[in-house]
Amino acid sequence: MTTHPANQQFDVIIAGAGPAGSAAALLTARAGLKVLLLERGEYPGAKNVSGAVFYGSAILNELIPGWWEQAPVERHICRRNIAFMSPATAVALDFRCAGPGYATAPYNGFTVLRPKFDRWLAAQAEAAGAFVLTSAVVDDVLREKGRIAGVRVRREQGDIYGKVVIACDGVNSFLAKKAGLQREFHPHELSLGVKEVIGLDPAVIEDRFHLTGNDGIAFEYLGAITEDVHGGAFLYTNRDSLSLGLIGQISSLVERRKRPYELLERFKAHPAVAPLVRGGKLREYSAHLIPESGWAMKPKLYTDGMLVAGDAAGFCLAAGLYLEGMNYAMQSGLAAAETAILACQKGNFSARTLAVYQKHLKQRHVSTDFRAYRHAPSFVNGPRLQNLYPEIVAQGMEQIFRVDGAPKRKILPLAYRMVRQSSIKPGQLLRDVYQVARTYLW
Amino acid sequence: MHIAVCLKYVPDPSTIEADPLTGSIDTGRVLYMMNPADESALELALRLRPPNGAVTVLSVGPVEADRLLQEALAAGADAALRVWDDALGSLKPIITTALLAAALRMKELPGLVLCGGHSVDRGSGTVPALLAEHLDWPVATDVTQFVLQSGRIRVQRRLARGARAESEITLPAVLGLETGLAHLRQASLPSLMRVKHTPIPLYGLEDLGLSPQDLHFPAMTLHEIMPPRPRAQAMFTPDASAPVPERIAQIMSAGAAGKAGKVLDSGTPEQQADAIIEFLHQRGFLEHRT
Repeated sequence: MTTHPANQQFDVIIAGAGPAGSAAALLTARAGLKVLLLERGEYPGAKNVSGAVFYGSAILNELIPGWWEQAPVERHICRRNIAFMSPATAVALDFRCAGPGYATAPYNGFTVLRPKFDRWLAAQAEAAGAFVLTSAVVDDVLREKGRIAGVRVRREQGDIYGKVVIACDGVNSFLAKKAGLQREFHPHELSLGVKEVIGLDPAVIEDRFHLTGNDGIAFEYLGAITEDVHGGAFLYTNRDSLSLGLIGQISSLVERRKRPYELLERFKAHPAVAPLVRGGKLREYSAHLIPESGWAMKPKLYTDGMLVAGDAAGFCLAAGLYLEGMNYAMQSGLAAAETAILACQKGNFSARTLAVYQKHLKQRHVSTDFRAYRHAPSFVNGPRLQNLYPEIVAQGMEQIFRVDGAPKRKILPLAYRMVRQSSIKPGQLLRDVYQVARTYLW
Repeated sequence: MHIAVCLKYVPDPSTIEADPLTGSIDTGRVLYMMNPADESALELALRLRPPNGAVTVLSVGPVEADRLLQEALAAGADAALRVWDDALGSLKPIITTALLAAALRMKELPGLVLCGGHSVDRGSGTVPALLAEHLDWPVATDVTQFVLQSGRIRVQRRLARGARAESEITLPAVLGLETGLAHLRQASLPSLMRVKHTPIPLYGLEDLGLSPQDLHFPAMTLHEIMPPRPRAQAMFTPDASAPVPERIAQIMSAGAAGKAGKVLDSGTPEQQADAIIEFLHQRGFLEHRT
């Protein structure tokens, strides 16, 4: 290997200080490696956007025991609500758990504000000995003798060398593309999330959402709120604000000529949502791409001298029932770190050595989860699940509860009539039932 | 020549969210940055630095201000120092400048001190003049351009109503520079990495040979900061005694008075001409009534 000036030569270079990058930096720095964590923003988290519920509490607890006591967390999630919406109706599944693991340590999930949380996590990596450099945009990979040998930062004399490069640079990973590991995406594989943070008094939040202390709730919405655009919406409670957002598949946004912020406004005006956000003050507006296709858009995860983790590797599980990204980002970051540590011990950074990354991903249940739910994205984003079924469920409930002097019907004949009236063909229905079963049951 | 540049650690205005009623600022959301006018002063100092010269940057501020001094070092400044003491309360410009002057006297005095003319937070614009007073040096404020000429400095200053002034002052001197004269150069990656852990020398009151008494300037005290109070808007109401069409016309005109004129329909043509000349004279359009 060619030698470079000591201050330009690292064991591990990590591009992107999100949950994947900072977790990887923390673990590799603890292992005594010389680690460089690069971040394009002014500070870690400055450019990072997500819902944001962090469901990886137990994972982070292994790294930093009792992390929630020192980290800037908002509320722990012990109530979840998934609602099917028609323009005037909402039918919801409401889950609440005050049991261990949800309302007690290590908790199941926390709402976080990414600029604060990511900054804290990167500071942990820095305290462990990683060199964190902000305002550093990574433009390209450097190659030496056919392997990735470093990265090029957009600054004068910006070439910097490392034995392993871990690309955690987000959904539109330039590094994975430059290294030839990722292809260009199709518009149907990506969604656009637009999000508002709405300021609200903590007492109002507790009253309005039936919460005590630091409890929090996560609402997720499917159906007519996005009109005929494939997507969904969410509303999470922070300590003194709400995170509210709408997700729309790019291809269907383009096709239907809809603007996401218009849909967001309509979502906020929906009778089931308007009372929840009433009186709030808009604090922030942000937007981000989401790699929703999971398994189908997974790049090649490693090559000579380089690994890919987090959103850059498409590790974002958008499977209807689950909307998780940060936990998988962190797990994949840790798996990449374990791989890098092993490679440094061996002194061998070839693709053959780095292939152990796959094993680590499996051990951390990343690849197994994504494989298990590989059918979910295409099914969840299908037109019938998006619009027709929520509409039927909403209308059906509306008829069941209606008392207008007409005879009451039992549910099966009612459902039969509803399905007959809609445009679904029996074959399609059967296929969808099979799809649901294949996606979630086995 | 040795040039010193004063840098201020200021909140980034785009991150400030103030409560419109109380004027209190949500400090949890504020990010800090180098004052833009100081940033361009630093760039000009770096351009001006002769081969054997040096640029020193200094700041009065808490430990977070080290980041900004490190940034300045990465951009090419030769030395940095920070002044802070936990005994310091709120900083008035006169105290800041007394500290800056004392810090400058710690080593060989520079030949030229550049300051940003106004900070984006307090914006009093008094620091260059007060600093010059403490040092007993000449000062030029609102400077838009300057050229060094053998021990003298020729400056162009911006005055009110678009006027410009050119003056010449002798060195050593303090200049207060306008905002946006130059963009601070981007630091190279190696220098950015080098300064990351560079310690910045810190001078407390004792190190500067000052006691709290030396910083007692009772001439002006800050009592309170309040948000600007919006000016009360008078609601226009038409004359109730006027007939309806006229009231409507008054409402439609939103209270804008028509041009009051005077119709000259009596008197001889000579008298009328005199009246016109008198009118023009009164309004200052004519110098002599001829």
